Amino acid sequence: MTTPARDYYGVLGLDRGASTEEIQRAYRKLARKYHPDVNKDPGAEERFKEIGEAYQVLSDPKSRQRYDRFGPSWRQVPEDFDAATAGSPFGGGFGSRTGGSRVWVDTGPGQSDLDLEDLLGQLFGSGGRGGGFGRGAVPGADTEAELELSVEEAYAGGRRRIALAGGGGSRSYEVTIPAGVTEGQRIRLAGQGGQGIGGGPPGDLYLVVRLLPHPRYRVNGRDLTVELPMSPWEAALGATVPVETPAGTAQVNVPAGSSSGRKLRLRGRGLPNPRGAAGDLYAEVRVMVPPDLSRAERKLFEQLAEKSTFDPRAAATRRSA
Amino acid sequence: MKYPLARPPRLSLDQFSAAAGLHPQQVQRLVALGLLDPLTTGGERLEFAPSQLAVVARVQRLRIGLGLNYAAIGVVLDLLARIEELEAALRAARRF
Repeated sequence: MTTPARDYYGVLGLDRGASTEEIQRAYRKLARKYHPDVNKDPGAEERFKEIGEAYQVLSDPKSRQRYDRFGPSWRQVPEDFDAATAGSPFGGGFGSRTGGSRVWVDTGPGQSDLDLEDLLGQLFGSGGRGGGFGRGAVPGADTEAELELSVEEAYAGGRRRIALAGGGGSRSYEVTIPAGVTEGQRIRLAGQGGQGIGGGPPGDLYLVVRLLPHPRYRVNGRDLTVELPMSPWEAALGATVPVETPAGTAQVNVPAGSSSGRKLRLRGRGLPNPRGAAGDLYAEVRVMVPPDLSRAERKLFEQLAEKSTFDPRAAATRRSA
Repeated sequence: MKYPLARPPRLSLDQFSAAAGLHPQQVQRLVALGLLDPLTTGGERLEFAPSQLAVVARVQRLRIGLGLNYAAIGVVLDLLARIEELEAALRAARRF
């Protein structure tokens, strides 16, 4: 993705026959989209440099012509080199004057002798900018990337290796995740953002926490909700039931007469909070009925149906009447 | 199948320039700067959707009212479009 010798036309999304105006238009639009202050993606800065580099070459008719003829290694070919008269020292790969086939073969990465520092100097001008950062020094832009964590990881915290596409290919970071991070919280990696210009300090990289959906826990801020399946008799008579929490199994006393939807709060059993009270864990009662009844169970339920005067719909009809 | 009774509303460069009150060359310049999006690109004949007239008006307002240059106006247009998009998403999320 970030090979130094990329096709300049490809970088700008253009055909080889693009007009000067089209090149300018593509450059302006892409530069706006990928400017490191507009686009927080860590790969944006690299992309922005590529776009600037491509435009530098293609906007000048002379360098564009040479690039069309010689391909990515055009800078290595002397200015006054004439492929038609000289015996080609480059393996005869260049188009001849008579054939006119302007075909070159991409030699892959590692062939470019571009000095990015040089180019950036030209792009941004090397003086008169930036207030308090020394002569012409501009600090780098902050970048942002998402960090996906499971509920367990957010609960326990710890160290983790992450790889991000950034300046000069993929960079990997060792990140310390504080226990009890929440959705949307930002973890700052100082000095890991975009590069400064002219000796300016680099920006910071912010990792924005995204909590992955969990099969058991629903997350709301620091509070967790977990379903608590119960049999009808447990719910009716009351019971002590084990509940899975991120810290391990806890015992919950379910009072008698708990219907589905009743929430039992386990204070402080949610996600921890480094600055203050931890979140709560809510166990939500869910009454489950056996899918297949044995003969004995069926008989007991029939007896219950005969004896019971309970009408779960009575309250609802009275309220609506 | 739909058969449009009228030609889809497209403005030629001359029509568009007349409606925007600009010289066609100035319109072409705005296209090269990436501020206007013509319907046809690459060809010699530019055509525009009528909605681009609102963009031209905004460009003029930003230039005259705030003294921005064209490169800055491009950034402002992109950011305003993104803010509109985010605000729409925020409204949709609140309703939910």
